[in-house]
Amino acid sequence: MLSNMITIIEDNWLLLLIGQYPNGPLGGISSTLILSVLGIVLAFPLSVLIALARLSHWKVLNWPATALVYIVRGVPLLMLILWVYFLVPLLIGDSVPGFVTMLCTLVIYEGAFLSEIVRGGIVALPAGQMDAARALGHSHFGAMRYVILPQALYNMMPSILSQFVSTIKETTLGYVINVPELTFAASQLNNRLLTKPFEIFAILAIVYFVVCWSLSELANRLEKRIDKQRQGDDQPAAGPLEHASPQTRGAT
Amino acid sequence: MIQFSHVNKFYGSYQALVDVNATVNKGEVVVVCGPSGSGKSTLIRTVNRLEPIQSGQVLFDGQNVHADLKSAELNRLRARIGFVFQSFNLFPHLSVLENIMLSPVRVNAVKRGEASQTAMRLLDRVGLAHKAKAYPAQLSGGQQQRVAIARALAMEPPVMLFDEPTSSLDPEMVGEVLAVIRSLAADGMTMMCVTHEMNFARDVADCVWFMDAGKILEIGAPADFFSNPQHPRAQRFLSDLHVR
Ligand SMILES: Nc1ncnc2c1ncn2[C@@H]1O[C@H](COP(=O)(O)OP(=O)(O)OP(=O)(O)O)[C@@H](O)[C@H]1O
Ligand SMILES: [Mg+2]
Repeated sequence: MLSNMITIIEDNWLLLLIGQYPNGPLGGISSTLILSVLGIVLAFPLSVLIALARLSHWKVLNWPATALVYIVRGVPLLMLILWVYFLVPLLIGDSVPGFVTMLCTLVIYEGAFLSEIVRGGIVALPAGQMDAARALGHSHFGAMRYVILPQALYNMMPSILSQFVSTIKETTLGYVINVPELTFAASQLNNRLLTKPFEIFAILAIVYFVVCWSLSELANRLEKRIDKQRQGDDQPAAGPLEHASPQTRGAT
Repeated sequence: MIQFSHVNKFYGSYQALVDVNATVNKGEVVVVCGPSGSGKSTLIRTVNRLEPIQSGQVLFDGQNVHADLKSAELNRLRARIGFVFQSFNLFPHLSVLENIMLSPVRVNAVKRGEASQTAMRLLDRVGLAHKAKAYPAQLSGGQQQRVAIARALAMEPPVMLFDEPTSSLDPEMVGEVLAVIRSLAADGMTMMCVTHEMNFARDVADCVWFMDAGKILEIGAPADFFSNPQHPRAQRFLSDLHVR
């Protein structure tokens, strides 16, 4: 079994890594990771906007944002994928690659979930921070931009990373609309070899596990570090990127 | 400079301010005192509209603070009212220097170089020039509050409001903060200060307002108020504090 798995990897590592590229679309784990990274990176600004809209006193902003979040949270991701799959070509009048369909879906889906994380991060800050910023003459958005969001987003980094891990797992659902990614590559392989499904899907599981577990571990460490800082000891609460980078290297 | 007339404020059905009428003149130092829950914080927070009111008027420099202002007008107004909180409320993600520079640069569009010079001068004034690069979490409470005062002063406000600036400090740090406030008073700054530090009030205040249950019950010069309070509630308050 183990030797079978090693043989399969030796013979097909390129397919698992990049799919049929350059003879076909980019696939395999690189496609999975690109999809996840793009998904979360594009979802992030959207989520900040949704969070700000949900916290706004203006009904025109608050209402649609709240509705969007409730709908997206109340619907299985697969349903959303199918909607986008059938809806986007209707709207654009042209067929769209599976990758793009999946990316759009992920941006909406992750945008809604991330917005709840961002909103939680904003609400969790002491009210005195907003009071102080407003008392100094900052506008609501100035206060958000310079005082509230930098703190909230920094505190939320572990949760955002966890959401990234979920996103990686959610890309597997792209399989149903033939998005060339890791699961798709594995199933192609399975169709070709026919007799080794257990080995192939064991490899698939291990790859997902290793990637997701290391990222979760990174999120945990980040969380501990931020907790320690919040207690106000040696390290300043700023300069998050410099402080985080050694750990990024350590865990990957 | 600040004028309250017939100010009424409700939290739901609870009336936190009851027909408040009083005036802070230019250059005057007013100390507001009274038992816990009497509405001191609420009153001082109506001056820059951190708390809305339901009726009456608060005038700042002739301008009706609670009028139907554009948000830009309200922000400009707030920028001219220095406010110091009981819990400091420094921005923990910014260094001391950046805390002080942020609002001059972002609100008043002062150039960074100039803002940084002003900030250093103010830090020097509150005795913390050596902490410019430190972060708030690395400072003691008294130091944080002095930075908060410098941060408010950086906007060059004609008025400073203090809401119990020393109440969350360890006793040994109260003096250093009061010293800064005294020096502002000596420079002629118009100030309104909620405090239980009665020695400070006696030395520095031009006028003491005593509040209870949302009303200002007594207004007087500190000499009169402390030696001969008129209202029975004020007499009881002072004897509870053992200052008589
Ligand atoms: N956000 C609020 N919602 C409801 N009631 C409030 C709120 N803020 C204050 N109050 C009530 O209004 C009254 C006045 O409160 P305020 O904070 O102004 O008192 P204070 O004189 O500053 O007291 P302290 O000395 O404890 O700071 C209190 O009875 C308080 O419970
Ligand atoms: Mg108070």
